[in-house]
Amino acid sequence: MGASRGPRLSGLQKQVLSLYRGFLRAARCKSAADRRQIESIVSAEFRRNSNQVDRKNFLYIEYLLRRGKKQLEQLQSPNTESLSQTKQS
Amino acid sequence: MLRSSFLRRGYNKVAGIFGRAEAKKQDFPVLEGHPAAQESAEVALESRVTVQDNVKKVMKEFRIYRWNPDRPDSKPFLQSYHVDLSECGPMVLDALQKIKAETDSSLSYRRSCREGICGSCAMNIGGTNTVACLKPIDGDTSKPTIITPLPHMFVIKDLVVDLTNFYQQYKSIEPWLKTNMVPKDGREYRQSPADRKKLDGLYECILCACCTTSCPSYWWNPEEYLGPAALLHAYRWICDSRDELTEERLQALTEDERKLYRCRAIKNCTATCPKGLDPADAIHKMKTKHMLSQPMEMVEIM
Repeated sequence: MGASRGPRLSGLQKQVLSLYRGFLRAARCKSAADRRQIESIVSAEFRRNSNQVDRKNFLYIEYLLRRGKKQLEQLQSPNTESLSQTKQS
Repeated sequence: MLRSSFLRRGYNKVAGIFGRAEAKKQDFPVLEGHPAAQESAEVALESRVTVQDNVKKVMKEFRIYRWNPDRPDSKPFLQSYHVDLSECGPMVLDALQKIKAETDSSLSYRRSCREGICGSCAMNIGGTNTVACLKPIDGDTSKPTIITPLPHMFVIKDLVVDLTNFYQQYKSIEPWLKTNMVPKDGREYRQSPADRKKLDGLYECILCACCTTSCPSYWWNPEEYLGPAALLHAYRWICDSRDELTEERLQALTEDERKLYRCRAIKNCTATCPKGLDPADAIHKMKTKHMLSQPMEMVEIM
């Protein structure tokens, strides 16, 4: 999915990019250390999904978009400070 | 006491040599010194064995919708489970609990009260939307029972669906008492029994989402149309005699033609409600109220 970031992006790609932008904007409102933490987690997740998930698997991409929107709403609330991740063995 | 137990053990050893019949009495070490209890415990064991031999297994097949978001390439499918109904509670929720406990613990579903009051376990069972804790298992073992999530809803995993839009629509009708005046003696807002009776059939809604997800009009316009559950609650507040902002509530519902008037009287909601409520009737009453509150010329045109 990273290779096709040329002039013509499909609707789904635009949605994914706008979600990513939303996360980065939300990160700007938090403190500097938290901002770096959020940015690293979010960019790692998006990059991992872009490599692992098939371009044509619309069902799963839409599921990830919906989940991401909910997580973004939670992050945008002023009560949330930062994100953290735990590894699943 | 000591002497009798010593004698008993001696007798048992001797009897054990001559025959195995007395060996059973050693099955219950906890009942040492209580011969009557040991005998009745033995009788209970024997009868249990007889019952187990006679009880027949009643195997019922359940085909349950599965989808795992952690496996991106998998597509949804119906998985078959066979449950012995003779060892299972009567309701579909009991069967799901048994499957999750014994066979497949990755099966995901919502549940809470197991008595039909919380509305968590709403799902589509055999084509109809109901709550699983109030739906008895169909005893016909020749046909499988098909369990799928609520229709036309986004699936989070297996039978768990995303109900945030549903809850936001309920929130949007402002389901609380709105008054301008304080009651006369400053205590409760009073209501006559006749007025309270008007709320029967409206307040019992458990927000299970069965009716809303059975409405074809809601399937095609989930963002705009509020759905039978939210409209039932809207009517519950409109016809509450203690609530004073009735006209404002009605006006908020009918300002555009999409929140209330998308209802086409399909009546799937009334047919599927697990609590036996009548959302279609409430919606019809609200439409009538709105029509009658308009000036006479407009009513004649209608």
